[in-house]
Amino acid sequence: MDLELSEEEAALRDNVRAVLASICPPAVVRAAYEGKGDPASVWARMVELDWPALAIPERHGGLGMGFVEVALVAEEIGRAVVPGPFLATVTEFAPAVQELGGDGPLAAELLGRVAAGDTTGTVALAEGGRWEPAAVVATAQPAGGGWVLQGAKDAVLDGAEAGEAVVVARAARTSGAEGLGAFVVPRADLAATPRTVIDPTLPLADLVLDGVAVPADRVLAEPGAAGVAEALDRAGQQAIVALAASTVGACRAIFERTVEYAKDRVQFGRPIGSFQALKHRMADMYLAVERATSLVWFAALAIAEDDPRRAEAASMAKAAAGECQRLVVQDGLQLHGGIGMTWENDLHFLLKRALSGDALYGNAVHHRSRLARTLGLLPQERIEEVVA
Amino acid sequence: VKLSFGDEVEAFRQEFRAWLEENRPSAEEMAAEPAISSAHVPGWASRWARRLFDAGWLVPGWPPKRGGRNAGPVETLVYLEELTKAGVPRTTNPQGLGIVAPSILDYGSDEQIRDYAMPILRGEKSACLGMSEPGAGSDLASLSTRAVLDGDRIVIDGQKVWTSGANDADFCFLFCRTNPEAPKHKGISVVLVDMATPGITVRPLAEIAKPEHPDLNEVFLSEVVVPRENLVGKLNDGWAMANGSLAHERGMVWLSFVVTLEEDIAAVLAEAPAALERLAPAERAVVADGLVASAIDSAAARCLGYRGFAKLVRGGSAPEQALMKAYTSEAKRRLALRAAELGTDHTVDIGSTAASDPTWIERYFVSFGGTISAGSSEIQRNIIAEKVLGLPR
Repeated sequence: MDLELSEEEAALRDNVRAVLASICPPAVVRAAYEGKGDPASVWARMVELDWPALAIPERHGGLGMGFVEVALVAEEIGRAVVPGPFLATVTEFAPAVQELGGDGPLAAELLGRVAAGDTTGTVALAEGGRWEPAAVVATAQPAGGGWVLQGAKDAVLDGAEAGEAVVVARAARTSGAEGLGAFVVPRADLAATPRTVIDPTLPLADLVLDGVAVPADRVLAEPGAAGVAEALDRAGQQAIVALAASTVGACRAIFERTVEYAKDRVQFGRPIGSFQALKHRMADMYLAVERATSLVWFAALAIAEDDPRRAEAASMAKAAAGECQRLVVQDGLQLHGGIGMTWENDLHFLLKRALSGDALYGNAVHHRSRLARTLGLLPQERIEEVVA
Repeated sequence: VKLSFGDEVEAFRQEFRAWLEENRPSAEEMAAEPAISSAHVPGWASRWARRLFDAGWLVPGWPPKRGGRNAGPVETLVYLEELTKAGVPRTTNPQGLGIVAPSILDYGSDEQIRDYAMPILRGEKSACLGMSEPGAGSDLASLSTRAVLDGDRIVIDGQKVWTSGANDADFCFLFCRTNPEAPKHKGISVVLVDMATPGITVRPLAEIAKPEHPDLNEVFLSEVVVPRENLVGKLNDGWAMANGSLAHERGMVWLSFVVTLEEDIAAVLAEAPAALERLAPAERAVVADGLVASAIDSAAARCLGYRGFAKLVRGGSAPEQALMKAYTSEAKRRLALRAAELGTDHTVDIGSTAASDPTWIERYFVSFGGTISAGSSEIQRNIIAEKVLGLPR
């Protein structure tokens, strides 16, 4: 196993970092926080640079790169606290379309539009705060040659902004992995209520599906079709690892800022970074960041090479990113002292991004509980009983 | 990044695997005469070292005359992986093969290489490493064992402690002070001392668990006389060797940290489902979460180690390596306690005979050896903070 970036991978990472430093400096993040900026311009530049096309197959107009490259970009997106549709579109929507829609005409159309920057997208999966497909209770009923969706979705990333949403719903009177289907719904057809969240660069919305009509040609996967649950899992793993990468990117930035601050800030006549009590905490922050980064890269590789360990690796990466966030946000803020508590200092953008990245797509507690089941330490729970 | 190193390396793996299958000591042979200290070389271990040496499989990265085959670092990693999978120790004198012999090969005279380093490689001699003293533990440079040059002899007086394997070693790679006037890092030299030399008293230190099998010792040196040609390298140049020794130790030693952690978690996960059955649901969820944390620790250790290794192979520096010792030893310690707690009412049981395998609560206490010795976790954090993060002293 070779877990260091190749020259090409490192060059991609460096290039993305340099571009983001120029198109998304802290002033842009601050503007997004204060509702003054225009995040669309950041996205427009990414489209010009073909970032949405990165992992889309060449036959659909993409660049045909792999998931490792996606994860590297996601890490940098978190590091620069980039607002806008990259994560939802490239790491949720496109993988869901590809895994669920296969080589069908709808998938070809949507992937082509994403690659060209003609649409943004998201996935409406979670219900009742749970992210497993088995927890879905929203229903899809056949009607007039198409389908009608009924139910509610929560915490949809970019749910009020994305051009298209993949909505997961199930056939009536089915449960668990049975009867699941996926539908492509344009924003205009969804009643989205934006949530007021601590990090506006990761905007969430709740959706009400009150008799949403979906024509037959917008069905990505018919309810009950073979392999829908598995395709949702595979797409979900990509969203999870990209989010973990992004969270780790924010954590690394917090850690680096904290070390620099500790070298500069003088108290008692010496830099506070010379005190052993603080040194050891920064050594532990460093470990947490490197530990999570290593697991994220391994998970990205497992997905890119379609290794059978991909599900377990994804949960480990997300759990480690969440644990990393807990330590780095806490000690990063603590070591900055009073200045870290102010709105004027840019640190809080990173803190909130790291924390929000843990909360989405199952936090560390959730993924550890998944692992407890896959490792045979806890019985498989029947999600529908939990939901009921 | 890639999951595999490629076909050529896999072919190398197959070649070694086939040789190992033919030549390895059997499990019965090893069980009949276990090594009881880190410098005890039972008959099978001596014969095994010789077979490895002759076939160029002892230190694959070295040239054939030193028991290698000029293999690259990736091949060496694969070789160590295969040895581990087969459950065969590479040596029963790890500090001899891993630190003392390479240091003598780097710094020693031709005679020292012939009389001390090569016999270690061929399984004919074993060595201990005389570093720590009562007044010089983490602060090794404060050591005070005195070596006085007197014509063609060196006279040594002092005391060492925590010397692994001194009770079975043939000779000691001894750090001593040769210039008390110089700043403390600049007055240290290394001398090779046969353990049978008059004036040496070894007192084994019974340990916190399994007191009947001591590996740590106190070594008292009183007017110990050795020939001047036993000085290794230049006079007062010992501190460079101390750092060099530890570098040898840290080169590939991370893999053994990773592998032993993986063996531990595999053993615990195998026994856990049955043990968890006995717990109430709420207890079960708490205990299971701890074991999951250990499973993540173990996977992360492997990923961290391989990532650092990949950086070294590319010719860069690998700050991850500095993390590995503290991280893996602390992860092992956490796991041992969780495993002990998994035993619920049996947590406090220990083996009823000296030959019993240590129970988890004994292993918990033993695990502190990893977080205390060879640079404690606290020293490791200082090193990371100062050398890697660049924080001021």
